[in-house]
Amino acid sequence: MQIEVHLFSVLREYLPPGNERGQASVALPRGATVADLIAQLGITRRVHLVVINDIQVENRQQSLQDGDSVKLFPAMIGG
Amino acid sequence: MPYGYNGKILHADLTSGTLAIEEPPETFYRQYLGGQGMGMYYILKEMPAGADPLGPENVLAITLSVVTGAAVSGQSRVMANAKSPLTGAIGDAQAGGFWPAEAKAAGFDAFIIKGKAKTPVYLWVHDGEAELRDATHLWGQITGEAEAAIRDELDDSRIEVLQIGPAGEKLVRYACLINMSNRANGRTGMGAVMGAKNLKAIAVRGTSKPPIADQKALTEIARWGAQNFEDSEVYGMGLHGTADVLPFQQEDGGLPTRNWDSGVFEGYEALGGPTMSETILKMRDTCYACVVRCKRVVEVTEGPFQVDSLYGGPEYETLATFGSYCGIDDLAAISLANQLCNMYGLDTITAGATIAWAMDCFEQGIITAEDTGGIELRFGNAEAMVRLTEMIGRREGFGDLLAEGMAQAAKKFGPEAEALVTAVKGNPMPAHMPQVKRSLALIYAVNPYGADHQSHEHDGSYGDYPDRMAELGLTDPPPRQALNAEKVRYSIYTQQLYSLLNTIGVCQFVWGPSWHLYGPSQLVDMVRAVTGWNVSLWELMKAGERALNLMRAFNAREGFTSAQDKLPRKLFRPLSGGPSDGIAVTAEEMSAALPTYYAMCGWDAEGRPTRAKLEELGIAWVADELGL
Repeated sequence: MQIEVHLFSVLREYLPPGNERGQASVALPRGATVADLIAQLGITRRVHLVVINDIQVENRQQSLQDGDSVKLFPAMIGG
Repeated sequence: MPYGYNGKILHADLTSGTLAIEEPPETFYRQYLGGQGMGMYYILKEMPAGADPLGPENVLAITLSVVTGAAVSGQSRVMANAKSPLTGAIGDAQAGGFWPAEAKAAGFDAFIIKGKAKTPVYLWVHDGEAELRDATHLWGQITGEAEAAIRDELDDSRIEVLQIGPAGEKLVRYACLINMSNRANGRTGMGAVMGAKNLKAIAVRGTSKPPIADQKALTEIARWGAQNFEDSEVYGMGLHGTADVLPFQQEDGGLPTRNWDSGVFEGYEALGGPTMSETILKMRDTCYACVVRCKRVVEVTEGPFQVDSLYGGPEYETLATFGSYCGIDDLAAISLANQLCNMYGLDTITAGATIAWAMDCFEQGIITAEDTGGIELRFGNAEAMVRLTEMIGRREGFGDLLAEGMAQAAKKFGPEAEALVTAVKGNPMPAHMPQVKRSLALIYAVNPYGADHQSHEHDGSYGDYPDRMAELGLTDPPPRQALNAEKVRYSIYTQQLYSLLNTIGVCQFVWGPSWHLYGPSQLVDMVRAVTGWNVSLWELMKAGERALNLMRAFNAREGFTSAQDKLPRKLFRPLSGGPSDGIAVTAEEMSAALPTYYAMCGWDAEGRPTRAKLEELGIAWVADELGL
């Protein structure tokens, strides 16, 4: 299945080659979870916020569906 | 010879034109440290109750600390306190840059200023000497011009200048102090206090710094910060500046939009850190000895909103207040408003929020084009926003009324306008929303200098950084939208820690209780290395609590009670759109949280420090001062 990923801030370092502006389409096996997506992207930094189809998700074991839009945010801080 | 500090406080009486050097004992330094703690000591001792904030009796304390100038990230901070002309309560503002470290090298730990000069003057401080010099020729100059002129006439390009701009001279009630032409002691009108004293600037230059008690240990702490920076949570702030947080705020429904009617702004993408980095960013800048380099320098050379890089670049708060608050998605226009604020010496948060309030009133027909001098003050009108910012700085036309502050201006237009105010104690709310981070509701209400986002740790950090939170004894995180007793406890502990940060004078992006480069125990290590004192976290936290109590005691002496610890009505109305649609702060939770907070602080039912609490903090003299 294909997942539309949007990476923010320093997580853009993990954007697959050939993509830009923090956005990429990522292929994952059926039944893959948020944690699987993070692992496939090779993200070693803390992911602070996960948003799937505009809904914040706490559970990293939540399964993804084909065509899902997933936004990943690192710790976003500052005043 | 003391370690870390000079042991000298400079007192300036501008009425008589006299300067005096005080050399307090080590016990004084260890108890008050610097910043808020030290400033409040002198303000309570030397300012009579009920002083006119724009009169000669107001005392302006400009303070460093025992660690300022030590070669480690996040220590070059200057703190300003005085009675605020915007709120009538204690005023407080902090800034970074190179001025603080240079001022320390110039031989003093604090500058305590009272009286009023007959004609404009500036203070020239260099290598332990100080003199007042004529500033008549500088009066009216914008910050960039005055800084260059002072360096020219003193013939030293390495002089650092802390100054007011024309807004401070004209007593705009939220005028700020500026150093490097782009670093602001922004909030609560400290620039107006300085302007009312006819003091244009404090120019500093020094060639020696106090010795460090354990240089090897300090170097190791600095090296650890440099080595761990790229893996730390503040790395993104270095890459994209504080604007990095803006897309997150949007996603969280916490980006104040159109005078706080919504927590989402459709034009947010144009304002975020990555957009700035890809478009108008010229370079990254830093403060003395800091590895984070979060400061932005932007430049725009074409189009209607051209921006001079001398005046830096907008922070997140500035992007929000001139941007989403006003419904504006033009990054160049916002950057120009930022430049105007730094040129004239205006607080960007208050200026942007006040314009947004006026736009809201205009949209609702409460303020008309007749009031504004023909300006169509509608949400999204970038040209009007920029024009009005300059009019405030110059106190021209409708800008003259807005220069009095949002809450004061609202009185002219009646209850409908007052219902749209977004301020606490007259201080406009910054761009973090209590609706989605509920501890902010409590801290905005009770903070001694009005609504402030840098006075405690925000809600999400409690659960996200358990190891560092455990250092403060915080191990049971409630949900972000809860305001229960545990959240009140969290708010108090972290508020005391932040008050410590503003007392020991370190940057809240580098040192703090959670996502920061350095945690609480490392702060202890740093203070030990610099001063040689065997301090503990407990002792330092007490210093933060002491400073907070000194500020609340000042407010109590000025007649403030729980009646002023009130949130604006807008926060109790549901937000519209996005993830925070329908969410509001409730009166019930605030009614429960406030007395819990007062009781946990050891204050009375009106939120005033008690004699017992003041004695417990070793400041019984304050209880005497208050007649307790």
